[in-house]
Amino acid sequence: MAISTTERPRASRPVKPTSRLRTTLWLLVSLIVVAAFWSVKIKWSTLADFPAQLIKYIALMLIPPDWSQFGEALNATILSVQMAWIGTVLGIIISFPLSFLASKGLAPRVVNAPLRFIFAVIRAVPEVVIAILILSVTGLTPFTGALALAVGSVGTLGKWGYEAFEGVDPGPKEAVRSTGGGTLALIRWGVWPSAAPDVFSFWLYRFEINVRASAILGLIGAGGIGKMLQDNVQFRNWDAVGMLLLVVIAVTMVIDQISGAVRNKLIHGTWRAPRLAS
Amino acid sequence: MNRSAAPGAGTPAFAPDPGTARPTKPRHGAMSGAVVVLLMAITLWAGIGIQVDLPAIVANWRNATANIIQLLQPDYGFFFKTVPALLETLQMAVIATAVGATISLPLAFLASRATNPKPRLLLGVRFIMNMVRSVPDILYAAILVAVVGVGALSGIMALVLFNIGIIVKLVSESLDGEDLGAQEAALATGGSWPKANRAAMLPQILPSFASQVLYTFELNIRASTVIGLVGAGGLGILIDNVRSFFRYHELSLIILEILVLVLVLESASSWLRKKLV
Repeated sequence: MAISTTERPRASRPVKPTSRLRTTLWLLVSLIVVAAFWSVKIKWSTLADFPAQLIKYIALMLIPPDWSQFGEALNATILSVQMAWIGTVLGIIISFPLSFLASKGLAPRVVNAPLRFIFAVIRAVPEVVIAILILSVTGLTPFTGALALAVGSVGTLGKWGYEAFEGVDPGPKEAVRSTGGGTLALIRWGVWPSAAPDVFSFWLYRFEINVRASAILGLIGAGGIGKMLQDNVQFRNWDAVGMLLLVVIAVTMVIDQISGAVRNKLIHGTWRAPRLAS
Repeated sequence: MNRSAAPGAGTPAFAPDPGTARPTKPRHGAMSGAVVVLLMAITLWAGIGIQVDLPAIVANWRNATANIIQLLQPDYGFFFKTVPALLETLQMAVIATAVGATISLPLAFLASRATNPKPRLLLGVRFIMNMVRSVPDILYAAILVAVVGVGALSGIMALVLFNIGIIVKLVSESLDGEDLGAQEAALATGGSWPKANRAAMLPQILPSFASQVLYTFELNIRASTVIGLVGAGGLGILIDNVRSFFRYHELSLIILEILVLVLVLESASSWLRKKLV
């Protein structure tokens, strides 16, 4: 084929294809956002003196930090972390067998469907609401807070669990089946070894979520960060709130770094010390 | 050309007959044992800290039945009183998502190794983002209520901060994983970093950005029903009211509303995600 030299390539770009549906969707989304802005009952004028106010309160809270409150803030934060830990451990114990039962191919469909529905319902309810329900049964202690976190964890851990188990490579599964392995052998040798790193990784992730969620539970009386926050905001003890804020940030960041390092160890097999801002 | 690499060349490179013995599994029993002991110890320490008390729960079951019976009978007449709060929750979530997404996009480009050539700026942005992410949303809400006053505005601000933490993390991680060819081409033609990123990287991450924003919106719906507990507007204020007076009929209606709202919006957003991505 001779290349024709008479036709010069046109300098115009190809026209970008547009999809009418996509345009409509974008319009709809923009419309919803505009409607929300337009209808919300907010005095936007208060935004004008917001920066000044913010600086004033930050000064009240953090300049200088009130170290006399450090002990109490640390205790409150540790209690919240303990709540998160127990909540995560209980959530793992409950969700682990259930997520196998919710996986297609490991249990009959009749068992899969209701479990998946239960996980979805739990995920839809905020942990605080679960805690309020539980507190109507047992009264509110840090332990009840942990139970609420455990129930909330079952919703997400269950879902992530069956997704991980269904997503493993079919090769090992087939190998187990072909040698005559039953369902238990299939789980132990065909599914678990491939899924384990992912599963450990999202257990850690859920613990990180629970550390943050446990702060809320204190507001309704479970103790820990939320309780200290409420006690001090009510009486406008800003230096105590500031100290709490510092301790919460520090402890949460340390926990995230540790769990990041552990996650690396589990997935890549090395203790690559994560940098402070990774 | 390389003869030694050709299969079958030279002496047969068969390993001696391995027999039928299985390979021995590498053992790290001591390490696993230590990990188990450590986890048990932490669990025990945490359990003592929060005073795990199973007998109390068993004892309390008896006075719980009345409450549960109340919870199972939602008071549907209460619905009309909840409409304003329900609307406010929706408005807060929508506005916070829109504002949060707008602020997060440029920050995400600054927080990704792939799109930010200045290592110091990168570390700085990442460190600040880690700090922003480490504060629970309820803590933001409580402080902002004091600064701005009770109502939707403080709630929106708290959610925006919470969203920036999440979206920047997700988007900068997807930027880290993108193909850098187009960006390199744009830089090679003399484009500045911002221009190259806008032309080459932004179109690549837009679909995942859209789905991450939708995911954040779902989180916001949940969060905006809660932050009202400290006075930041939305359904939370109602929850706080009915809870203090133990009006479980009304509480269960609010829970039902949250449930329906979240499930409807989740299915809508998963449909939208399929269409957009």
